Amino acid sequence: MEEIKDFSIHHTTIKICEDLKNLPQYKSFYEDIQKLVSTPNVRLDDFRNSLLKAMQDNGLEADLRNNVYRWMKTRKKEQGPYDSFFRKAQIHWDKRIHKSLNSMSSELGISLAKLRANSEKEELLSKWNELSNFETDIHKYRPVYAPKDFLEVLLTLKGPCKEKPKSDNHKWEFAQLPLQVKNLGELRHLYAEFSRGESILNSNSFITTNVYFSCFEAERIALGEKILAKNYAPLAQEYLKKGCPKSLRARIWTLLLGAEVKQLQINHFDTLKKNILQYDLMIDKLIIKDINLTASNDDQYFVFEDVLYQVMLCFSRDAEILKQLPNQPAFMQVGVKGRPNTSENSLVFPPSGVIPFHGFTMYAAPFCYLYNNSVELYFTFRAFYLRYWHRLHRVCANAQGVVSLCLQYERLLQCYEPNLWHHFKKCRIHPLRVVIKWIMRAFSGHLPPEQLLTLWDIILAYDSLEVIPLLAVSIVIFRKDNLMKVNTLANIEAVLADLSSIAVIPLLQMALIKDNCY
Amino acid sequence: MKISFCTDLDKSVVVANCEKRSWVQVGPEDDWNIYWAGTQTCRSLFSVDSGYRMNDNQIINHFPNHYEISRKDLLVKNIKRYRRDLEKEGNVLAERGDSKYLHLDFIPITFVLPADYNMFVEEYRKAPQSTWIMKPCGRSQGSGIFLINKLSKLKRWSRESKTPFQQQLSKESYVISKYIDNPLLIGGKKFDLRLYVLVTSFRPLKAYQFKLGFCRFCTVKYDSSVAELDNMYVHLTNVSVQKHGGEYNSLHGGKLSVQNLRLYLESTRGKQVTETLFDQISWLIIHCLKAIAPVISTDRHCFECYGYDIIIDNKLKPWLIEVNASPSLTSTTANDRILKHKLLDNIFNIVVPPSGMPDVRWNKIPAPEALGEFELLIDEELVSLNENNENGLGRNTNKWK
Repeated sequence: MEEIKDFSIHHTTIKICEDLKNLPQYKSFYEDIQKLVSTPNVRLDDFRNSLLKAMQDNGLEADLRNNVYRWMKTRKKEQGPYDSFFRKAQIHWDKRIHKSLNSMSSELGISLAKLRANSEKEELLSKWNELSNFETDIHKYRPVYAPKDFLEVLLTLKGPCKEKPKSDNHKWEFAQLPLQVKNLGELRHLYAEFSRGESILNSNSFITTNVYFSCFEAERIALGEKILAKNYAPLAQEYLKKGCPKSLRARIWTLLLGAEVKQLQINHFDTLKKNILQYDLMIDKLIIKDINLTASNDDQYFVFEDVLYQVMLCFSRDAEILKQLPNQPAFMQVGVKGRPNTSENSLVFPPSGVIPFHGFTMYAAPFCYLYNNSVELYFTFRAFYLRYWHRLHRVCANAQGVVSLCLQYERLLQCYEPNLWHHFKKCRIHPLRVVIKWIMRAFSGHLPPEQLLTLWDIILAYDSLEVIPLLAVSIVIFRKDNLMKVNTLANIEAVLADLSSIAVIPLLQMALIKDNCY
Repeated sequence: MKISFCTDLDKSVVVANCEKRSWVQVGPEDDWNIYWAGTQTCRSLFSVDSGYRMNDNQIINHFPNHYEISRKDLLVKNIKRYRRDLEKEGNVLAERGDSKYLHLDFIPITFVLPADYNMFVEEYRKAPQSTWIMKPCGRSQGSGIFLINKLSKLKRWSRESKTPFQQQLSKESYVISKYIDNPLLIGGKKFDLRLYVLVTSFRPLKAYQFKLGFCRFCTVKYDSSVAELDNMYVHLTNVSVQKHGGEYNSLHGGKLSVQNLRLYLESTRGKQVTETLFDQISWLIIHCLKAIAPVISTDRHCFECYGYDIIIDNKLKPWLIEVNASPSLTSTTANDRILKHKLLDNIFNIVVPPSGMPDVRWNKIPAPEALGEFELLIDEELVSLNENNENGLGRNTNKWK
């Protein structure tokens, strides 16, 4: 038995080494070690120990450990019995999206990809820092799909089980999907700090003035600074469980996600920018349109409009994203207009493989509050997308995927507020319909930025998206009395429209603390 | 108990707030308890000719000579005098270093034209080519403002304004201030802060700061180059100016909440510097009020809500630009409406005593829960009360020993 375990560790180690060698930052890491070896601190007679000691002293060991930690996070096995069913469903959905892109392009008479004219290239370059002034006609473009279209897709998933339920219930719930989701007991187990009622730092205007808060915050800042000095990613994750002071969040997130910006990242960002200047992709217009429809009109984000143009356009060009996504989406291969139709003249469209939906910009917008620099912002946002956000707009069986999250919302509501559930049913309004946009955008654009960043702290702290449906159901239940009084979709949406008064931590504590009538 | 209000401003937020409290609207000739008046009405009400005498159950939303703070030239005059007076007393507040006031350097260097022209020229020569901003003293909402960076331009302007066509204009006095050409930019754009301050008494000074304010952004990227000197969309943050720009967005109106500004600054610049900035803002508000306190004709019937305009420079130092005695109550966006509604509601909570009937004999010390979104900035009466109490306690403990 021991032997088998040893063997498997050995195996994992080999795998980790191989993968680390393929990381883009490996080269500079290796060079740093070589430099270290040539210093007098590393002695030939005790090479192993003196090298390890030297690595500890200059922080390379922490770097290596952080990389292994992040490797573990991304290489989680994602296999379940129904994978092929969900994969088929996603492929079908991808095809529909691609078809709709193609028909939009032929309708508008523009090509998906073409080279940018020199004049346009120059204009774009000169306006790189104020892309809102880059004149481009987008009024004919429409978002490819919106959260409610995606909800239709989810609601029509028939489930891999052949026998159809007798009642008309299958129109009503996902219950026929054989996915495991956590019940409240399991969620309490996961969010142990919440269910134990531990104090969690949160910026709530009612308490920020009291003395206890300032002491607690000072204590958290001191601890956080220590962790940052240690440069240790797993500690950063643990740290977030009890709340993050605003002043440390950017650095803690960067550390946790391995989104540090060095020369390599700056070069990468620059390559993406060059690609934007070179190619005129139809996706650019969709991105500009989306920013126009969302962030530009939003009183929380309008000031960051120009940063978002840069970041979102670069995102579309980043082939690393397609490479790193755990379940590669189906992607399109298109020829560049005006070039012979050969393989070197065709490109993956878009290079990231991600086709934005209405509100996609909101995945990036809140980071504008954390980073002044668009490169830093970009890499944290990209890391977040690769870890979490991609699961929110794809059909998959993963416990962190949007299907499971929707199911979890539904079960919690059904279980704890059957009356409200029946009220929805009586009004013939699917309870998911009113929260799907919260779930798909991880509440971005719905909660005020400060509360939103607190919610995202919790996602990182527990490395789980399950807090999203939990918060969604808590808000719906919190507003139950008013919901019970109305019976049209418009009125229900009106009751849930304004989330400016929602305080995330207290609401989650209310839901998770044990021995509660909830 | 019937409470009546009167207003000559057709602002829905005033009327809605009063009606919510079941106050009855009456005309100015009737028996009113609360008058929300325009500055002009207020001034004529207090003038000797009107012969109007208010009774103990009447309050009004302006002090008779509010222009001591709201007129750009008088504000500067009062602050300069305040600093001089403190300096004569040998007060540490007026301490100087490198010829500048260390603690009271919160307004850009300013002169009144034409009166202080020679002083201005002397100052200008110290740093030629620097940019200055000209503002007519008595106007508002950004009208008549322009930037200059050459003396010749100023001379030309003064010549031209003396032509017969513009006789009236030549009578108008201007203030000229050193232009803050290194404003803090967010997303590349310039903004200023609009904060609200309620004063219920000047002697002793009782002032409250409203926690919810907003930043007003220019719609166009900031550009300090000479070529853009005449482009007011780059330099002026007034909504009334920006509204005419092609880029104006009516959904957010170019307004970002102060809480979000704080979140951004604390996240990107750190906690310490952000706290210092907001402390400095409170500091300048208090000293600005102290500067005008001696010249305000204080009257127990009056309270006033000021709109403070503040610019933050890229070293996170706040600069007082001007104070408005009748800040706009028009709502440009949905959030604006919520904010202004709350502002009025909270003001009434503070100025009306717990009995619900305005009463000038009340000590004007509202309960903490009446403050709402207001925070106590300063209450000189409370300070001296506390001091007395502490002294009293001190004596008592001594006795026991």
